[in-house]
Amino acid sequence: MAKFKFAEAIRAALDDEMAADDSVVLMGEEVGALGGVFTVTKDLIDKYGPDRVMDSPISEGALAGFAAGAATEGVRPVVEIMFSDFVMLAMDQLINFAAKIHYMSNGQFSVPMVVRLPGGAGTNHGPQHSQSLESWFAQTPGLVVAMPSTPSDAYWMMRESIRLDDPVMFFENKNLYFRLAEEIDPTEGFRGLGAAVRREGADVTIVSAGRMVGMSLEAADMLAQDGYSCEVIDMRYLWPLDLDTVARSLEKTSKLAVVYEAVEYGGWGSEIASWAAAEHFMDLDGPVTRVGSHRVPIPVGVPLEEAVVPTPASIHQSVLELAKY
Amino acid sequence: MSTTPQQLLELYRLMVLTRSVETAIERAHRAGRIAGSFHSSLGQESCAAGVCAALRPSDVVTSNHRGHGHALSKGVSAAAVIAELYKRTHGTSGGRGASMHLHDRASGFYGETAIVAGGVPWAAGVAWAKKRTGSDDIAVSFGGDGAFANGTFAETIRLAKFWEAPCLFVCENNGWAHSMPVERIFGPPGSITEVVRAMGVRAECVDGRDVAAVYEATQELVTHVRGGQPAFLECVVYRVRAHSINDADYRYRGKTDGADWLDSNDPIAAVRHKLDELMAGHAAAVDDDVTRIVAEAVARAEAGQSPTPEDAFKTVYASEGLEWHGQVQVR
Repeated sequence: MAKFKFAEAIRAALDDEMAADDSVVLMGEEVGALGGVFTVTKDLIDKYGPDRVMDSPISEGALAGFAAGAATEGVRPVVEIMFSDFVMLAMDQLINFAAKIHYMSNGQFSVPMVVRLPGGAGTNHGPQHSQSLESWFAQTPGLVVAMPSTPSDAYWMMRESIRLDDPVMFFENKNLYFRLAEEIDPTEGFRGLGAAVRREGADVTIVSAGRMVGMSLEAADMLAQDGYSCEVIDMRYLWPLDLDTVARSLEKTSKLAVVYEAVEYGGWGSEIASWAAAEHFMDLDGPVTRVGSHRVPIPVGVPLEEAVVPTPASIHQSVLELAKY
Repeated sequence: MSTTPQQLLELYRLMVLTRSVETAIERAHRAGRIAGSFHSSLGQESCAAGVCAALRPSDVVTSNHRGHGHALSKGVSAAAVIAELYKRTHGTSGGRGASMHLHDRASGFYGETAIVAGGVPWAAGVAWAKKRTGSDDIAVSFGGDGAFANGTFAETIRLAKFWEAPCLFVCENNGWAHSMPVERIFGPPGSITEVVRAMGVRAECVDGRDVAAVYEATQELVTHVRGGQPAFLECVVYRVRAHSINDADYRYRGKTDGADWLDSNDPIAAVRHKLDELMAGHAAAVDDDVTRIVAEAVARAEAGQSPTPEDAFKTVYASEGLEWHGQVQVR
């Protein structure tokens, strides 16, 4: 079976969905001839032509509204925002229109659209190209928020997202694009919207998503050497949020750490921490621990970036304290 | 293309219908029967009527916060519009959106958006999607002069030209962007048209007080748009009422400015005069008909059902299994 890197896996998913459904189109800056700045849409224009792989002017606002409008008419656009930070230019159309038109029209219109958002730190791109904005979108009714952590999940989650009838904010951590390679069995079938247990353990539950899943697994290796067994859960989607899987794990471990790359303050991990404190108060044997990014812009360079964003070492340190509690 | 008497009578009917519905809404507001925002298009009904009369039922219209006339002229019933203003379940949006959220897919009135310029790219996307299926239906977006100061409007015109979306962008230049005189932003009427022409898009400017002129200009542009290219129409009208029903417009213009303008420029009065010459009695019959329809619509809205609290939680998501019933849920 062929192995795919993360970027290749998303490309394969786009390719397979475009082959299966003529209403799937790609729109975005440099998605055509260049194939995307991260090569995700490479060569697709040769296969599907410029009418389905559409290079856009640098007009994120109009692009998002145009795509969402086309979606209300039955097109299934996959829009690439070159860096997720540029989504701010499209926010009105995404939040005030795409997320709400199904509701505002009492169900007359829907927006089956995927917005691809390459985000996160770790690539030296600086404060305006490295943010993790997923918490904003998880907070917005009407949106689905996807955040894959592995190539095969990126493949299946993209295919499933394209088939949903709602706007999906699809966060691709650009630091993952070329790192991991994984086999994908195209006959496996959709995996659904629930969370996945990536490592079983008995002492602490670590909840995470995106790039932080890999880091949490590294931290779990270190904690194993310290004598602690960690269960690592990959949430996969930040909405809908599969708290049942987290609850089952907590019954076993009684300790919860939430690890996320978004700003820790007010982030989606805080929501899980708050839920655990409210719904599982009697199950908890230690304080719920959050490991998120500091509330400062993302600087460039390893020393500065690692001071701001969680690392395996910082996750290890925080979870060790919790495990010892 | 010149407008026939029969066409003029239809244009008159659309204008009177809008005037009558909006007047009824004003009355209901003042009587405390309706709460919330309301932006009147009184005095500029000619733009909505003239443009929409040149469209097919299967053509699509998107609109803005001042959209009652666009809805009614595209064929949405007065009963559904008034019921929505009363927040009744038989309103266009089930009574959850009111004045700024009228939607009626069946009549091609895709609807209003309450963010200035927000509905402009919607029309372009729908137009492109329709063309993609081989249809020669078009889409029309209505926006004001104020909307043209928003980047989304200019971006969308550029994108529609680039991707050849058959979309007609109508700019209702009513002289006021809330409290800002449009001349201070763009200059005299026609200035916005010049900007769009410079972008390489066919653009015309028409005296919006003359409903037949609007109708004829739209017909010409619609022929061009059906050929697969966008176009732009500036309708020069005037905002007779305040920006919204709660707006203190006397703070930025004379108290009687709106009424004074209407006295000598009313687009309905001009057509009425002409129709009485051309076909005596017909316009009066339209008046009676509209009066009856609107009175019935108000009575039905007064007696209508309000949504239940449970309705607030419906249709947040379209996907099967994602309907919102609690704080979190997994399919």
